[in-house]
Amino acid sequence: MKVEQIHKVFDEYRGLSDNKLRPFEQKSERFLESFRGLLDKKNNWAFLLPLRLALEACTHCGTCAEACPTYIGSGRNKIYSPVYRADMLRKIYRRHFTLTGKIFKKLIGAEEITEQDVNAMAEAAYRCSICRRCVLACPFGLDNGLVMREIRKIFAELGIVPEELKEEGVDNQLKYGSAPKIPYEALMNILDFVKGEIEENRKNVNVEIPVDKVGAKYLIINNAGDYISFLDTIRGIVEIMNYVNVDWTLNSPRTGVFDNVNYGLFYSDKDMLRVIHAHLETIKKLKPEYVVVGECGHAYDVLGHLIKDLIPPEERPFKVIHIVELYDKFLKEGKLKLDKDKNIEPVTFHDSCKIGRCGGIYDEPRRVIAASCKDFREMYPNREYNYCCGGGGGFALMSKYNFLDFRMKTYGRLKMQQVKDTGASTLITICANCKRQVLDMISYYNLNINVSGLSEVLANALVY
Amino acid sequence: MNEYLTVFTGIYLPYITLAVFGLAVIYNFFKWMFLPRPVMWAIFPAKKSLVNILFTIAQRIFSLPGPRKFDKLIFTLSWMFHIGLIVSLSLHAKYIFTSHLPYEYEVGTTAGMLAAIGSVGFIIRRYADKRADSHFADYFALILLIITLSLGQYIRMFKMVESTHLWTWVQGILTLNPILPPANILFLMHILFAQIYMMYLPFKTLIHPIAIFYGQKIILDSRHVKG
Repeated sequence: MKVEQIHKVFDEYRGLSDNKLRPFEQKSERFLESFRGLLDKKNNWAFLLPLRLALEACTHCGTCAEACPTYIGSGRNKIYSPVYRADMLRKIYRRHFTLTGKIFKKLIGAEEITEQDVNAMAEAAYRCSICRRCVLACPFGLDNGLVMREIRKIFAELGIVPEELKEEGVDNQLKYGSAPKIPYEALMNILDFVKGEIEENRKNVNVEIPVDKVGAKYLIINNAGDYISFLDTIRGIVEIMNYVNVDWTLNSPRTGVFDNVNYGLFYSDKDMLRVIHAHLETIKKLKPEYVVVGECGHAYDVLGHLIKDLIPPEERPFKVIHIVELYDKFLKEGKLKLDKDKNIEPVTFHDSCKIGRCGGIYDEPRRVIAASCKDFREMYPNREYNYCCGGGGGFALMSKYNFLDFRMKTYGRLKMQQVKDTGASTLITICANCKRQVLDMISYYNLNINVSGLSEVLANALVY
Repeated sequence: MNEYLTVFTGIYLPYITLAVFGLAVIYNFFKWMFLPRPVMWAIFPAKKSLVNILFTIAQRIFSLPGPRKFDKLIFTLSWMFHIGLIVSLSLHAKYIFTSHLPYEYEVGTTAGMLAAIGSVGFIIRRYADKRADSHFADYFALILLIITLSLGQYIRMFKMVESTHLWTWVQGILTLNPILPPANILFLMHILFAQIYMMYLPFKTLIHPIAIFYGQKIILDSRHVKG
């Protein structure tokens, strides 16, 4: 295999292409200009307070390091500790934006910006999946993960964003309705295939897949990657929605964006808002009572939480729930008759950061799994303390150069051990990016486990 | 020389210190307070009412759940250091009301020892632990505190100053009729370093006693800005 030569700017890995990073270009002045904008409350009201706190109040106690899966997974390499990475920005903040830093300089850890620093920071920002586990460790609640996200925002203003997130992510999504550019015809073919497959497996079951239905109670917007890579999850969703016989619909590129992802969350508030507005336009056309976020974590963070602060209530006349909350509701209403004996293999559950720690959904998936699987085994740590799998922050999409090695040798290594310790043969997760990462992990480490969404597991337990 | 030092550290400097410390604390508190309320950026389980949020913050300040789970050493050192310091400072604050308290010597000595052990532990940990790069200012604060604590401890253990004199000195400062403090050189050094520390405190990362309210509130607050 041909190994492409890469310029090392931070560690032995690279997440950004040379084409994007332009390592030999002078960028420090523009970096400072962009950084200044980030510290302005008109530009950055949404995140300014946690950013300023993290920049000004960190005592360098290093407690956050022991919570960071990159740091632990790398064998405790200092450069991957949250405090080290965030300090790369803090020292520049002190030197260029504080009076004491301008006076006392190195005595208080303030340093002049260099071109090397700028390049290193661009890469360092993509060594943190912004899982926010480090925040739990910080006695003051400071968010070094947010600092990484804000660094990504600075670089986005300089046009430095991984292609997988910007051109192949947000831009494709806004242009074609989905990041993987699935055309209408292809989507309908996929759904036809799903319908055929269910009807073949479940004799005497007539499957309907409503698409672009206006005024349905539930509009389910999936991660479009599931239509390609995790079709079992789509099959599960369709089967469950047919089983409960409620008023629901999927949507297609004909109504706008049919991909729930919002990669803007990972690098730019502006792009995040562009995608939010595209989602709102689409939802406005379909007028559902509920928008149901399919199996995706970061999409739920944006549509379920951030949208409530960024968009006035009158512009979002619908409720947003994650699909696991819908399943839990069906379960409570007695709409699902399940047979645990249909899922006898030991399973474990991975709490996705954006759904658990940042989303507050812990019990719902556990109730659904408990009702549909015979042998459920918790992994440890779990819930808010669970380790990020390494698919977050956009990483699941990034594999160029040797970035897959980074994902696997840090986060992946830790997650692999955590899963192995459960003895489970199937890992269930309700986030497409987590599934992608775990799938890569299985292949990278040649593991004898399966990864599955919750929908297919639940659908498999249905009793007709 | 000793007389000038006595007058400056015991009569003028306390007012300068109180002014600098007070204004800097107020500045730091309000500079964050007037920043816009951020988007909901909670870590779950989070809280939905302000009362619950404030109660949990208070609980976390004392229980330090993060360090307790992730770094037992810093948890232990933090407890020793902060409890020692708070008790020591409280015993200083008693001079506002009285010159003497029962068991003051025993309690004060123990508290001083705890704070000193905690701060020495912090320095050793900072030096030996390579997870974060500490700079001069990080050490400076600790060294200043250790010197202040050691001098205070020495003065207390060997009863080098008269507590009645201390009481009248503090009363004088508070009633704006300052009198000369005890002229013991070690005591003068103690109050000089203590006041330098107090003035330095709100300008460096030692603003963390204020930051903890804002930082913990952000991660505990699951209310939305726009309902």
